[in-house]
Amino acid sequence: MKRIAFLLVAVAAVAGFVADSAPASGHADGEAAPIFGIKIPPGYRDWKLISVAHEEGNLNDLRALLGNDVAIDAYRKGRLPFPDGTIIARLAWNYVSSEENNKVFGRSQSFVAGSATNVQFMVKDSIKYAATGGWGFAQFKDGKPADEALLKTCFPCHVPVKDRDFVFTRYAP
Amino acid sequence: MKRIAFLLIAVATVAGVVAFTAPASGHADEAASPIASPIYGVKIPAGYRDWKLIAVDQLLIPGMADQLRAQFGNDLAIKAFKEGTLPFPDGAIIAATHWTRVPSENNNEVLDGPFPGAQSFVVGSPVNVQFMVKDSKKYAATGGWGFADFKDGKPGDKALHETCFPCHRPAKDRDYVFTRYAPAP
Repeated sequence: MKRIAFLLVAVAAVAGFVADSAPASGHADGEAAPIFGIKIPPGYRDWKLISVAHEEGNLNDLRALLGNDVAIDAYRKGRLPFPDGTIIARLAWNYVSSEENNKVFGRSQSFVAGSATNVQFMVKDSIKYAATGGWGFAQFKDGKPADEALLKTCFPCHVPVKDRDFVFTRYAP
Repeated sequence: MKRIAFLLIAVATVAGVVAFTAPASGHADEAASPIASPIYGVKIPAGYRDWKLIAVDQLLIPGMADQLRAQFGNDLAIKAFKEGTLPFPDGAIIAATHWTRVPSENNNEVLDGPFPGAQSFVVGSPVNVQFMVKDSKKYAATGGWGFADFKDGKPGDKALHETCFPCHRPAKDRDYVFTRYAPAP
């Protein structure tokens, strides 16, 4: 009977783990980003929302920050530094005036996410990426990684927010 | 032996189902609201802040409103958006969360070096959250949608809720839904 009970627990544990780690959707891409060797994490578009942002000026985009479960858990608990396994995704779209919405409202008041510009990732691995605050960086446009020169600019720009473990975005309440 | 195998399969199935349906997180402040919206009787759905993202946008009415917004969908809504299913099936819920849009002085200071003239805006404080709940029978008179607006967990009044459907009517060809799904970059 003891053996059966053990088997039951083992099977339940495996079943639970498999169900938990199954990707939400399949966007897996082949090519890895230079320097840090990061690939597009499958299913990132279905991750939970950290916050929203808007860059005016030259970039002129609307942004969504999404986090994997490790990231979201750390944000909610205010855990710093972020634990290994954390991944933060920054999605950006062109900022466009919505003609179809504005027609309804009778004035230009609605600005929406137009075509996608690019997606960036920060991946936490305190050993592998020890030289860059424990973070690996990546940027992809249409599934293709940005070049080495661009990725060299990531960490220096994030250094000033060292007290927030190099992460700009705060969790939106 | 047959009996053990059956037991194993049964337990594995149950464990899988439980793991699959367990809510992603339990936020006390996101628990279902005890108060329902007038007219439609829609309550705040538990855990909506953890739903998948449909899109983001900005509402800008100079001098009146400047908001950053995110729309979330429950699994039925997200599936319909991804597959382009119209009308949305009964059970679909769309949540629209609105925050004030504020300049991030901290970001701008930092970004000014690598990105001269950076103008970074982030979310400030929550303004309100709105829901559209699809039930083609219950809400037949309003295109199959029930509406709700909450501020600090309290629903807006009847007068406010009477404005929802008329405003959405022009988007009838999209089943009264303004938001389009933002593609994965």
